[in-house]
Amino acid sequence: MLTYEPGTSVAHRLDPRTKLAVQIGFALAAFSHTTPRGLSLLTVLTGVVLAAATLSPFDAVREIRYALPFLFAGPLLSAVVLGSPWIVPTEAIGPTLASYRALLVLLVSVAYVRTTPVRESRAAIQRVVPGRPGRLLGVGVALVFRFLPVLIADLSRARSALRARLGTERRLIDRMRIVTTTGVRRAFGRADRLEMALRARCFAWNPTLPALKLSHWDVPSLVLATGLVCWTFV
Amino acid sequence: MIEIRDLTFRYDRQPRSNDAGSASRPVIDSVSLTIDDGSFVVLAGPNGSGKTTLVRHFNGLLVPDAGSVAVNGRRVSEDVVAARTAVAMTFQDPRDGFVAATVGADVAFGPENLGLKRERIDQRVQQALTAVRMDGTEERRIDQLSGGERARVAIAGALAMRPDHLVLDEPFVGLDEPARQSVLDRLRALSTDGMSIIVVTHDLRELLDLADRLLVASGGRIVLDGPPEAMMDRLADREVRVPC
Amino acid sequence: MTERSQDRTEHEETNAITSDVELVGDETTTNIVRAASFAALIGALSYVSFPNPVSPTPVTLQVLGIFLAGIFLGPIWGATACALYLVAGTLGAPVFAGGAAGFGVLLGPTGGYLLSMPFAAFAVGAIVHGGFAPSDPRARGLIRLVGAMVVGTVLIYAAGVAGMMATLDLGPTEAFLTGAVALAPAEVLKIAAAVGIVRSDAITAA
Repeated sequence: MLTYEPGTSVAHRLDPRTKLAVQIGFALAAFSHTTPRGLSLLTVLTGVVLAAATLSPFDAVREIRYALPFLFAGPLLSAVVLGSPWIVPTEAIGPTLASYRALLVLLVSVAYVRTTPVRESRAAIQRVVPGRPGRLLGVGVALVFRFLPVLIADLSRARSALRARLGTERRLIDRMRIVTTTGVRRAFGRADRLEMALRARCFAWNPTLPALKLSHWDVPSLVLATGLVCWTFV
Repeated sequence: MIEIRDLTFRYDRQPRSNDAGSASRPVIDSVSLTIDDGSFVVLAGPNGSGKTTLVRHFNGLLVPDAGSVAVNGRRVSEDVVAARTAVAMTFQDPRDGFVAATVGADVAFGPENLGLKRERIDQRVQQALTAVRMDGTEERRIDQLSGGERARVAIAGALAMRPDHLVLDEPFVGLDEPARQSVLDRLRALSTDGMSIIVVTHDLRELLDLADRLLVASGGRIVLDGPPEAMMDRLADREVRVPC
Repeated sequence: MTERSQDRTEHEETNAITSDVELVGDETTTNIVRAASFAALIGALSYVSFPNPVSPTPVTLQVLGIFLAGIFLGPIWGATACALYLVAGTLGAPVFAGGAAGFGVLLGPTGGYLLSMPFAAFAVGAIVHGGFAPSDPRARGLIRLVGAMVVGTVLIYAAGVAGMMATLDLGPTEAFLTGAVALAPAEVLKIAAAVGIVRSDAITAA
């Protein structure tokens, strides 16, 4: 599971807004420069980003392993044609570059997730998106983080219980129905109880926001983000 | 001070009900009650007697069908924020009541909603955690706490509101003996410091030594009310587990 | 004691500010919390996979979560739940397929499916409830229920295939083979499961 881990790296000390800006700049640049030259430059930059987060490239790739089949399937399928000569490698060049681009963007986002705690992300949302929508998003996102581990545990208990009662003999539809029903009931039950707790503690639209502080590393990082966005339009 | 006059409440009128009981008979049946500052009240009674429903009126989580609730002389319906700062509450199974992932962020939630300055919030969080012997745990993850630690952090979250009254709904459910003792110990200390405490429970062990008033609910009414020592012999026929 | 006098000023401070506190209304609180818990449920469902009877790709239940968000929360809050899922995932909640997270996933090969989710939940909810306000889904007809989920499935897969074409630079045929043929048959089972869930009395919400 890819989650935040406490640390003291440069990336940990950056303001979350700076990190989001770098990610957006990186993605824009990658989509506008999907060429061998552009992607080579961005590969170097990805290395810098991972180093700033003290993440090894190997660990970072392991975090996105789910995406690898898709990334390989695209170029492979493209190189195959129906009829002689069956395999045309040049057809795969575009998809290969695109897959590599997706890989780089994913690696940069791993660095963000590893180095940014929830409450900083939430503070960033509420400062970037003003007013009630920002507040709603901020608190909603914090609650998703809060509910996720307990609901995963609820579902895995439901599955074990099903297995223990010879549930594997049941039809697939029934198994999906039973596990999901448990999930929905727990989601509602937990939501209703948490709602009471929120209201008891004066859940408000205008709370004191978590503090965000800029470090001296934010300046070069913001320059980098701006540079990447500008490069997109060159 | 909490003053309740002729409070009546039915769940079926409410669109959302957390507890069972959609029966048409009232869950709370014209109850009148005054709770003084600085008292230690135990509210006991069998399941379904209306204990939880009653205390949820103290801070306006539920709205009565008839009758009135006032906190410090103001009707709850007129100033809900004042009622919720004056009467802080913890809920059965604190796991469902935490808002944030870490101890410090959760305890800060109440004062943040009150719009206090950051230094004030930090100060309140620290004092609340000290009061429950959990100081220095701000950065710990809540899902990694033990049952007793969780219960005490939940109390800290309520204390950070700087309430006059602290209402604890079944604080001992699911706690082992050392954890239960650690919570009792903190309640004793808070009570000594002048905090008004209201404990909703069906498990009276060791609580009656602390309490100066015992209320027993049954069928939506308060059927016994008085100093605990005077009522020991009448508890058994009210389906309240007598401490042994 | 200094502590006590400090408590007193603090208390007065609290009294002074209560009038400035803008409480979130009860109904909105209910909706926000339910949307967040449904967003987390959709994420949790991505951890539950079953062997697929017709394809080597295992079946995960995320899509089922999207249908149910629209059905149980209605179009507005169902779509909000999906939006919260995406924002939380972008900001690091491990809710995407395989426990992934981060902004890169939205621009990755599965980005199309993900970005379509709020629209799919909105469409499912709007069709099932015949408007913006949620009603009791058990009271809705079977054809309406199934039709809503078919529309939702088509939206999700159309966006998913388009996403693959854009991010992997594939032609429509390759993208359709990679993104829809292998995965879509299992959706029939999920629609059937969703009908069973909605029609049972196991869930009484709203």
